[in-house]
Amino acid sequence: MILAATSLVYSIGTSLLQLVLLTLGAPVLLGVMDKLRARAEGRRGASVLQPLRDIRKLMSKQRLRAHFSSAVLPVAPIVLLVATVVAIAIAPLASTQPLLAPSADIYVIVYLLLTGSIALALAGLDAGTAFGGMGSSRAMTISALAEPALLVAVLALSIQAGTSNVPTIISRTLANPTMLSSPTRLLALVAILIVVIAETGRIPVDNPSTHLELTMIHEAMILEYSGADLGLVSIASAMRLGLLFALVANLFVPWGIATDTSIGGLAMGVVWLAVKTSVIGVGVSFMEVHRAKLRLFRVPELLAGGFVLSILAVVTGLVTR
Amino acid sequence: MDLALLSLVLCIVGALLALSLNGSVRVVVTGIVGIAACLGALAAALRVLIDGNSVSFHSTLLLPLSGIDLTLDPLGALFVAVTSIVGIASCLYYIGYARDESGSRLSLSMFMLFLLSLLLVPMASSVMTWMFAWEIMALSSMLLITTEHRHSQAARRAALWYGVMTQLGAGSILLGFLIMTLPAHAQTFTLLEQHAGGLTSLERSAAFIFSLIGFASKAGAVPLHVWLPKAHPEAPSPISALMSGSMVALGIYGIIRVGLTLLGGGSLWWWLVVTSLGVASALFGALHATTSTDIKRLLAYSTIDVMGLVLLGVGAAGAMAATHHHEVAHLAMVASLLLIVAHSGFKGCLFLAAGAIERSTGTRNLDQLGGLLSRMRVTAIVFVVATLSVMAVPLFSGFSSEWLLFEGLLGGFISHNSATSIAMLVSVTALALTGGLTAIAFVKAFGIAFLGQPRSSNAEHARDASPTMGVAMFFLCIPSIVLGLAPGSVIPLLNRASDVGLRLHVASPLRPGAGLDLLSSRGSIEPLLILAVGVIASLGLWGLLRLVARGGVRRAAAWSSGRDVLTPRMQYTATSFAEPLQRVFVDVLRPDNDLDVTHESESRYYEQHLAFLNRVDDTIENSIYQPVIKLVRRAGTAALRLQNGSIHRYLALGFIALLVVLVVLT
Amino acid sequence: MNSSSYIAALEISGGAVLVFALLTLWRRDVKANVRMLRLQGVSLACVAGVLALHQHDLGLAVTAVLVLSVKGFVAPELLHRVVRRDPRSRETAPLVNVPASLVTAAALIVISYAVSTKIIALAPSPPTRLVPIGVATILVGYFMLVTRRRAVSQIIGLLLVDNGIALVTFLLTAGVPLIVELGASLDVLLVVVVLQVLLANMRERLGTTDLDQLRELRD
Repeated sequence: MILAATSLVYSIGTSLLQLVLLTLGAPVLLGVMDKLRARAEGRRGASVLQPLRDIRKLMSKQRLRAHFSSAVLPVAPIVLLVATVVAIAIAPLASTQPLLAPSADIYVIVYLLLTGSIALALAGLDAGTAFGGMGSSRAMTISALAEPALLVAVLALSIQAGTSNVPTIISRTLANPTMLSSPTRLLALVAILIVVIAETGRIPVDNPSTHLELTMIHEAMILEYSGADLGLVSIASAMRLGLLFALVANLFVPWGIATDTSIGGLAMGVVWLAVKTSVIGVGVSFMEVHRAKLRLFRVPELLAGGFVLSILAVVTGLVTR
Repeated sequence: MDLALLSLVLCIVGALLALSLNGSVRVVVTGIVGIAACLGALAAALRVLIDGNSVSFHSTLLLPLSGIDLTLDPLGALFVAVTSIVGIASCLYYIGYARDESGSRLSLSMFMLFLLSLLLVPMASSVMTWMFAWEIMALSSMLLITTEHRHSQAARRAALWYGVMTQLGAGSILLGFLIMTLPAHAQTFTLLEQHAGGLTSLERSAAFIFSLIGFASKAGAVPLHVWLPKAHPEAPSPISALMSGSMVALGIYGIIRVGLTLLGGGSLWWWLVVTSLGVASALFGALHATTSTDIKRLLAYSTIDVMGLVLLGVGAAGAMAATHHHEVAHLAMVASLLLIVAHSGFKGCLFLAAGAIERSTGTRNLDQLGGLLSRMRVTAIVFVVATLSVMAVPLFSGFSSEWLLFEGLLGGFISHNSATSIAMLVSVTALALTGGLTAIAFVKAFGIAFLGQPRSSNAEHARDASPTMGVAMFFLCIPSIVLGLAPGSVIPLLNRASDVGLRLHVASPLRPGAGLDLLSSRGSIEPLLILAVGVIASLGLWGLLRLVARGGVRRAAAWSSGRDVLTPRMQYTATSFAEPLQRVFVDVLRPDNDLDVTHESESRYYEQHLAFLNRVDDTIENSIYQPVIKLVRRAGTAALRLQNGSIHRYLALGFIALLVVLVVLT
Repeated sequence: MNSSSYIAALEISGGAVLVFALLTLWRRDVKANVRMLRLQGVSLACVAGVLALHQHDLGLAVTAVLVLSVKGFVAPELLHRVVRRDPRSRETAPLVNVPASLVTAAALIVISYAVSTKIIALAPSPPTRLVPIGVATILVGYFMLVTRRRAVSQIIGLLLVDNGIALVTFLLTAGVPLIVELGASLDVLLVVVVLQVLLANMRERLGTTDLDQLRELRD
């Protein structure tokens, strides 16, 4: 009984810790990525805390709502944020035992994130402007095409580990590290990375810093947002990016994550999480400097590539088992 | 059984009352009798599902020669329950919905007969009874499709397509049954099952394939689906709800009953065929749903898509049973059944909501709608719930069933057989791609119809559905929420049905509980706990927002790139929303684009009028069916030459035919 | 070399051969394709090298070096020169668009898995388990041969097929006689040289290397 209570407290603590870490850390990660990009382009760039400051500023500004918009416009950011928060709370980021770890199915996390995308896409259509519709349409198309690559890569991981539960996948990988050097894992990694880049709207799929309506995807969809609403959308997008990077990091370099219920282990888990996630962030921003944004109709090529790799991941998994 | 028989009798009484009563009483009384019949059937079905004991009934009176054989076993009872749940909602909805033609004597009595047949098919336990019920179902639904035939050419065409496809399918099923009756010389299902071992493997396969053709056509499996996207939109909405929620599922029921129960599973390749039908249907349905602009057509294609997913599950169950992985077979079967139950709820609900939209705006074309959220609140709420469910958003029924299906397919990799592994891999791919495409289709359906500004004056003056219609729609939302939050609550019932279907008696693949928890510990979900975390998160967020967000809210004009006004015509439409996707899949969809430019007479550089038409036809219909139709038409024209009006010639033809028959027979 | 790292090295280098084949299908830039071909040659040499190390087979080791030099350096270098000389053929113009080609490639991978299971069942061992990957490389190369318009891309497709065949032979027989491999490699070189000359002539006479336009010669 006492043991159960302690582990419950530990789980709740882990989940809260992960949440706080990503709420504050993810915008900073974005700031770091922007800074690196600026430096690589020969600019000085804003402070790494800039995204956090922007969000704080947005929170205290007036919210403008378009004339024809309905309740969907204010509700969507909340749905997006809550779905992301739930995903972060149950995902094994700093420890393999967060709250509801048995329900932290990889399929659940994927669909929670999809729920957020759906909410935003509806918000894009709500004000009845052409840009919003354009953004929603494009974002949904990219999400839909990314889905097969993602789920088949997830399938490859699940077949290899014999489970679709993320904490179990991670702990089984830790127990048997040869899984990591198998081509299945590596190919699935590449496929998932491609999808993550598409889902988080980074170059070469979308340019987060564009200000030309016709080339925007995510930004066009949220064009009608302002004030605290926009703040919520920004923080949710940042957290989503942090979550995806952290998950990729843990699936492919699981070391450092806390597997027991000690405070020290959890602290180490947090440190390692920050390090691993930043490494991925640095890698992505390095690539953003060296790549141009793809034309919208070239994006399916990229995602189809991810899809082939994930199929190959499953097939190599099947032949070598 | 008494209760089940009572409900069947009530359906007949309802049909007779519909024929005899006058005025507005007719609709109300018939509707109430229908609801009573459905309630009775539901109670009978639930009793069987909970006890697990089958009940039977035999009477020599009702059908000449063979009599009528009814058995309510857990598998059939599940489908009876599904029908009665959708039936209750449809009857209630019909009371508020019926108008001139849809409230006529013929339509109402056909409605009751249709309901009767839907309840009768899963109870039928002999070939004659089955075919009898199946034919009533075909005829009554065909007449119901023609309800609006006076105004609509499309309804007449749809009924013709439906009639031809359904009769060919019924013929094929009959052929399959006839092959099965060869060794038994009997026609009751119990005897057929006992003597199935006496069939050669060729006969078994032939029986399966023939019945599969008929059942797959009823289930809307590609390439036998062509009737479905025509018939569903033209039928009155409560009938569409019944067709999509219940009749189509009976196709799946037939495949399970004949393939797994009566023929005992058969060879692996049968189920690989079923899987490939499922993959084709899921992808084709989902793709066409994204490009449809007619809301009911969109729902019809989405039905094809979901039935495809169900076929994936049934195919996996059969394949696993054939390779002796009984636990996985059980899991896949339970997943398919859960998906069927979930689908009948959300799709029934969506069809009813689409009917409310059509009633109130006079159009089904999404490009004419918009801004309905503030005008049709009840319909909007219902539509949202059902849409979230169909898009497999967590905490709704679509998610729990698709998750279970994913786990079933994942479990299928246990077999080291390369053919099943490939089938599972392709199935997961189809499941994943359909998931994304369905999200596009329904974001489009809800976003374009309910959000933004109205795109026509009809949409601008839309009124909400009548209270009875509203209650009926809310009723069908219940399964979406219950199965989403506590899917574990129905698992014991589905287990019993699956036991009967697979003729296996293995332990449930899931632990008891409100969530879904696989015994093999490959995965689990607890939606109620996820909901709890979500609620806590929302409350926390709300509190935080109250503290942090200052500055208030102000209404302002939407960003219009500096122009003065945003007209409704500047919004994205359903067509434009799907355009990027249509472009990606241009080779599969082959859209028909027409740009018609009228220039000013003075200069070619100024346009007077621009007309753009985008149409996506059914590629399969064009490439497979049209040539056949052309051929038949040509044969018909050739045969016309025999008919020159001379009575002597006709008599001579009859005489020759008689002679030929005599010669051949002796 | 212990057995688990041997298997891992074999799987990764074998997988790399197919991944580079897929990347040639993915990229439109012919120069990048030549680079991929080079990397594929190197991976193929790695497969031979790993097998040689594991089986302590000197002949195989020599083959590995040979493969590295011919397929990793000489042949791609020759192709690279062709590409550099003809700026117009920089972009491949595929007959089937890239997403469709990639989805086809996915199907080809699944097919090669289906057809190779019987071969694997004959003698299951770490190298033979990778046969589907070799078969898939052959099929993808063949697909490229069929669907690409530029002559250079077709040569690349041909070389992919050749690399796939080489991979399958390494995996199945684990030790082609040196002389056979030598002959095969020389054949490949010869093909490249001949095609290089042919392309140069084509360009001089016709001003293009688009094979679709060759059809006009027939009329």
